[in-house]
Amino acid sequence: MLNALRRCAQRLMSTAAQPYPYSNAAIIPPPPAVPAPAPTKAGKGLMAHLPQRLLTPEKLQLLARFGKRHPERILPGSVLQVTTKYAPTSFTGVLLAIRRRGADTSFLLRNVINRTGVEVQFFVCSPHVREIKVLMRAGGRGSEGRAGPRMRRAKLFYLRDAPDKMTAISAGMRK
Amino acid sequence: MIGLKGTLNVIDNSGALLVECVNVLKQKVNNGWGSVGDEIVCVVRRARPISGQASASAPKVRQGDVRRAVIVRTRKAVRRPDGRFIRFDDNAAVLLNNKREMLGTRIGGVVSADLRMKGWGKIVSLAPKVV
Repeated sequence: MLNALRRCAQRLMSTAAQPYPYSNAAIIPPPPAVPAPAPTKAGKGLMAHLPQRLLTPEKLQLLARFGKRHPERILPGSVLQVTTKYAPTSFTGVLLAIRRRGADTSFLLRNVINRTGVEVQFFVCSPHVREIKVLMRAGGRGSEGRAGPRMRRAKLFYLRDAPDKMTAISAGMRK
Repeated sequence: MIGLKGTLNVIDNSGALLVECVNVLKQKVNNGWGSVGDEIVCVVRRARPISGQASASAPKVRQGDVRRAVIVRTRKAVRRPDGRFIRFDDNAAVLLNNKREMLGTRIGGVVSADLRMKGWGKIVSLAPKVV
């Protein structure tokens, strides 16, 4: 008797269009106040839709420049300067690697400071990253930065063991 | 990730050159591994030869001394709160006495900015470059 009363109350309070015809005990949740956006229903799912929705257009443009198909894409071997919102605000370095994971895309910059190598990994879509400036591009097309030699690798981890190549890059920058 | 037997370069002018970690202090978490800003107990493995002069920059420690130190650079990447990861090419430390004061007077080399967050502002202010 109490159960029947509870069921009645639930059904009265819900804004469901029709009750479930095969069971009295089924609870039909009301439709969401904000309907699901059309792209999520196109067959790709929520995770593919979120980067378009949650990232600003500037961040999406920046992400595209780190992609593989952009005409002015940033190539490994370029020298970048990253400005962030929090201290230390600026870091300059050679781009060693780009880790492409959609919204989690990150890149690794290497610099030699006071005879010690320092590597920093920045995440492109982080709101703390204010600006990425290309000081020297490694081959490729583009107007930003001076032209530098094209690297024949996607990941330049060999530069960790080659301090003379790092000095050559910095000498090229200073010239 | 500095633990037992981990070696660190010393970057102050206390006279030690290389220290070996013996114990990481105050580590109930992190499984006993030390990172930037953690205090360790260490043994001086290599030190600058002590001459007879008593100058201000005379070495204050000799080989075999057991001292405390704070880790200022690690080869293992350390995550900053804003999401960046920082990694150096070597492990480095600055020697301390039992009261968390520096033994040396100058620091020669870059240090990690995570030290400021862990309360080592004095070391950060003495360092020539903080990254």
